[in-house]
Amino acid sequence: MTDILLIAAQRPGLAVLTDAVGALKERGATVRLAAAFDLDEDRAALERTGCDALHQLPRGFHGRSSVVRREAERRGPGEQLWLRAAHDRAFRALAREARLLVALDADAVYTVWRLARRHRAAGAVHGLAPAVQAMRTGAAASGAGRLRRTLPSPALLAGDLRRAVRRLPGTLVRAATVRRIMRHPAGARAWRTAVALPGLPARWRAPLARSAAEGMTWAGRPGGAALTLLGAARRTAAPELRAALLRESAFADLPTGRPPRALDEAVTAWLGLADRRLADGDRVEAATALHHALPLAFHRSVHIDQLTSPLAEDPAAYTRRLRDCRTFQAVTGTARGRAQQAAPPPADRPVRLLVLTNGNANFLGLVLRHYADRPDVELRFLDVAEHKELARLARSHWRIIADRLDARTWYREHTEKHLRPYLDWADTVFVDWCTGPVAMLTTIDPGTTRIVVRLHSYEAFTQWPLLADFSRVDELLFVAAHVRDLCTAYVPQLAGPSAPRMRLMHNAADLSSFERPKSPDARFTLGLVGLVQIAKDPLWALDVLDRVRAHDERYRLLLVGDPMSPLTSGAARNYRAALEERLAPLERAGAVERRGQTDDVPAALTDIGVILSSSVREGCHLAVLEGAASGAVPVVRDWPFAAGGVNGARTVYPEEWVVPDPDAAAERILRLTSDVDRWQAAGAAAAKHALSTWDWSVVWKDFDAALLRGGQLS
Amino acid sequence: MLASRTMPAPSDGPGRGRRHLLHVAIGFPPAAKSSTYRLRETANQMCAAGWDVTVVTIARESWELESGIDPSLLDGVDPRVRIVELPLRRADLETDIRRFPEARAADPVGWVKKWRARNQESFPEPVFGGWRPALERAVLALHRARPVDLTLVTCTPYVTLSAAWTLWQQHRVPYAVDFRDGWSVDVVRSRTAFGPDSPEGRWERKVLDEALSLWVVNDPIAEHYRTRYPHLADRVTVVRNGYDADSTPDVTGRGAAKAPLTFGYLGMLSSTAGEWRALLDAWRLARSTEPLLADARFEVRGHSGFGADRGGGPKVELLRRYEDAGVHFGGPVHKAEVAGVYARWDALVLLVLGGRYMTSGKVYEYAAAGLPIVSAHAVDHDASRVLAGHPLWTGACGLDRDGLAAAFAHAARLAVASGPAERLAAQAHARRYARSALLAAGARDLTARMDRTPLLAGGHTP
Repeated sequence: MTDILLIAAQRPGLAVLTDAVGALKERGATVRLAAAFDLDEDRAALERTGCDALHQLPRGFHGRSSVVRREAERRGPGEQLWLRAAHDRAFRALAREARLLVALDADAVYTVWRLARRHRAAGAVHGLAPAVQAMRTGAAASGAGRLRRTLPSPALLAGDLRRAVRRLPGTLVRAATVRRIMRHPAGARAWRTAVALPGLPARWRAPLARSAAEGMTWAGRPGGAALTLLGAARRTAAPELRAALLRESAFADLPTGRPPRALDEAVTAWLGLADRRLADGDRVEAATALHHALPLAFHRSVHIDQLTSPLAEDPAAYTRRLRDCRTFQAVTGTARGRAQQAAPPPADRPVRLLVLTNGNANFLGLVLRHYADRPDVELRFLDVAEHKELARLARSHWRIIADRLDARTWYREHTEKHLRPYLDWADTVFVDWCTGPVAMLTTIDPGTTRIVVRLHSYEAFTQWPLLADFSRVDELLFVAAHVRDLCTAYVPQLAGPSAPRMRLMHNAADLSSFERPKSPDARFTLGLVGLVQIAKDPLWALDVLDRVRAHDERYRLLLVGDPMSPLTSGAARNYRAALEERLAPLERAGAVERRGQTDDVPAALTDIGVILSSSVREGCHLAVLEGAASGAVPVVRDWPFAAGGVNGARTVYPEEWVVPDPDAAAERILRLTSDVDRWQAAGAAAAKHALSTWDWSVVWKDFDAALLRGGQLS
Repeated sequence: MLASRTMPAPSDGPGRGRRHLLHVAIGFPPAAKSSTYRLRETANQMCAAGWDVTVVTIARESWELESGIDPSLLDGVDPRVRIVELPLRRADLETDIRRFPEARAADPVGWVKKWRARNQESFPEPVFGGWRPALERAVLALHRARPVDLTLVTCTPYVTLSAAWTLWQQHRVPYAVDFRDGWSVDVVRSRTAFGPDSPEGRWERKVLDEALSLWVVNDPIAEHYRTRYPHLADRVTVVRNGYDADSTPDVTGRGAAKAPLTFGYLGMLSSTAGEWRALLDAWRLARSTEPLLADARFEVRGHSGFGADRGGGPKVELLRRYEDAGVHFGGPVHKAEVAGVYARWDALVLLVLGGRYMTSGKVYEYAAAGLPIVSAHAVDHDASRVLAGHPLWTGACGLDRDGLAAAFAHAARLAVASGPAERLAAQAHARRYARSALLAAGARDLTARMDRTPLLAGGHTP
């Protein structure tokens, strides 16, 4: 019996399918259909075609990580189908059994192509007539034993691959990278050794390494894949190929959750390549090389999804190789300025204010409501993510770099076309988050429109501030001094003559609604609000909890908000696993309660007597402001990302709120909650400070000055 | 390259003193293409006219991706004809996914688009342009092995023009072009296909200027070329396709048909799905209105689809949806079986594309089958000129549903009323289109033109 797997992205013609299935079954085949279209719409008709089984492939990316979703967005329909199908265990099992893989339409071809690389014994054809012909000629009827007969054993590979690999024909080498072998530690190790052989011809090394790495990834060994590519890269002399292999190694390493081992070498290689190409006058290729280097240097796996960041530890040292790169200097030094200064606010009509963001208006609600009600303001709101063309321009990373190098003018022209009408209308543009839209916006001269940008904290760990032309920004608002310090330490324009005016501006928060009576148990309830990112480091909060419970088991921890999704990244998966392991006994003991996501934070805070900030990195932790305003005693970790600098948590909050470690945190908690009066007094003092410093009733004047009065205080 | 599959000339040839014709005929048997009969007969007739014929085509396996092969077609090839098969293959029709580079697997449509663009860098023909270097090398090698006296290229594909041109440029080997449906005339849309300054236009002009003769399949196309290139008017020769005698059924003893009647279509399914739908709707209407057709059957035979779609595609799906109306799709028919298929049918359906510039090869075979013919094509169509006066033809009315339904009813009545006499009369009407005679005349004309060109004939350039 020959197993045939038909794969269809679109609903096939049923008559032709019925004929072909009949012809295949006449020749003794078992025919299964895996469909990416909705099987249920046509199930009865498809069953009448005679297929022995129908399998529904995933129709979307539900439950998949954002990395995969983003990857899918960049791919065509064929590759998207593969990204969905490869995740389907049952489908992979069907593919393993198949002796003939058949793509029924163009969008299914890539999936068959990929499967065929893993299942070397199976035939792979496009179309039903070729499938019938393959059966007729016996190309597909070789039986299940063929795979075993054609593959070298793992033992052979492990034993003497150094010599064997030179003799193996290409097809056999590819066959030897199938999952069954790569799952075996010896098989994977042998491949790592083989691709790093000193004498291996260059034309073999990269294809071999890529093939082996793909097999290891397929077999669930991303670390092995990364090492394999890294080993091959280190033996590769050609700069382009070496850089490409290093980059592939870095990306292959991401699922492990640790910073990629090849990252530093990859960044250096691409920067070197960029400068070489720039020296050759090839600005387009120089842009491409920098386009590869920057996302690696600022990859979230290094700075966002970790509890430490080399950028935060020493921004000057970390970015030195970038700043030494001439291409980088040319890009980040692009300060084209503006032909005219921003016009003063109009006296005879309302100020036209355009508030712009890119899919994240979390910190804008109060601002928008405030200006929507003001008679002296005409407000417009633009979410770039909702505007197809602008969204595309805002994430056109390569084009932005190419523009800065004057390698292409397309980007400037399109930005003019789509953004100019907004600039012509607005007196002031307020861009929240210093990411792609700022790089896009500053590509063109804003005319007389005043440009105000707010940088929170997250962006400081991305490449985007480097791609903004700050000579076209009038005012840059930071939510905290330590974020400003970090940015000015590595963004050349912010330390140079073209730097805009920089101002600290508290987040807009309506804290008055948090003043509510506490519940009786609140004194012994620590609270952590928001733990969706690794940076919130809830494990630190558990360390604090352990210490206070060692003194008094009445202390408990309330977690408000969903924890990080394990699908976000390998690091998130690892952290979440460790968190769950710690939480399980504590929850059983009643020491930890999870409340999940809530829209009513003021109500949740009535049960919290001590508000924690356990984060490693924050701009200004809004949950702490809200907790303090509610009368909870703030206990703030000295955020490690900023702890070594002049500014940090200690300059954002009153110094006594801030503690260096869990022991000090426990000591502060035990001291201030030891009796009701002391706890209430400390909470009242915190509330008073919060309301007098950060409440909107205080902060709005700063916003008015920045957005309506040309930066002048009244 | 040339050694891939070369049928050696038989021991009695090449004859001393016989001139050497290089016939670049991609689509030569065993390719089961509609043009293959003309190509075969051309080679045979040139052989009969005293030429040693070497045919250049592509490997037979390549046709598996397209219209398939029919080994029975080789039976009718003059054994003196030498066939050289080049290992060329249409990459766009490849269905073995293991042969795909990753870029193609990821975007099959986009890859083919780029492949077509690349092909045009060699020669202005999207699908075949990339064959130019291989063709040129092949004909030069063949000329070196045995000097060529005359090159006859047949289009499509038009890239064969480059082979003739190369031999002319490098060795002054005269050439003729069997243009069949022409190039600068769009026979489907009845208009000019491209202007004189386009890459195609420049190639056509350049090659035709030096051609010894230019064959086309009908008078309107000949007129197009005589008008476009007045200085070539005397070189333009109409060589119609005609029919093969062995494809016509013996009707001498065949009496009137009896219900249930069987109508038939034989040929490539090259008309559009919309045209097929119009025809099938008319058939359904005719079946519901004409008692003679109440339980009639309509058999469709021929190739459908290329590459991954071969044997299938939307037109086959459409045909299958009309099964309740007695429509049956039966796939292709080998050449040797054609006469037998016609013998089982009671009437024929001629669905062809185009208009006044289009004839189709099938119309001659239909005309010679001695059966009633329903015409589903434009009124002003060259097929109408071929069929004019045919005693069992119902006339052309375009694709009007009511008109076609009436034509089906008319054909049904003719089928049940026709005896041997009517059928023989119909065959007699078609006899002037016997392919062997038409191509023999063409071969004689071409040979005579060579004879009238003494400076070139036999004058090999080393």
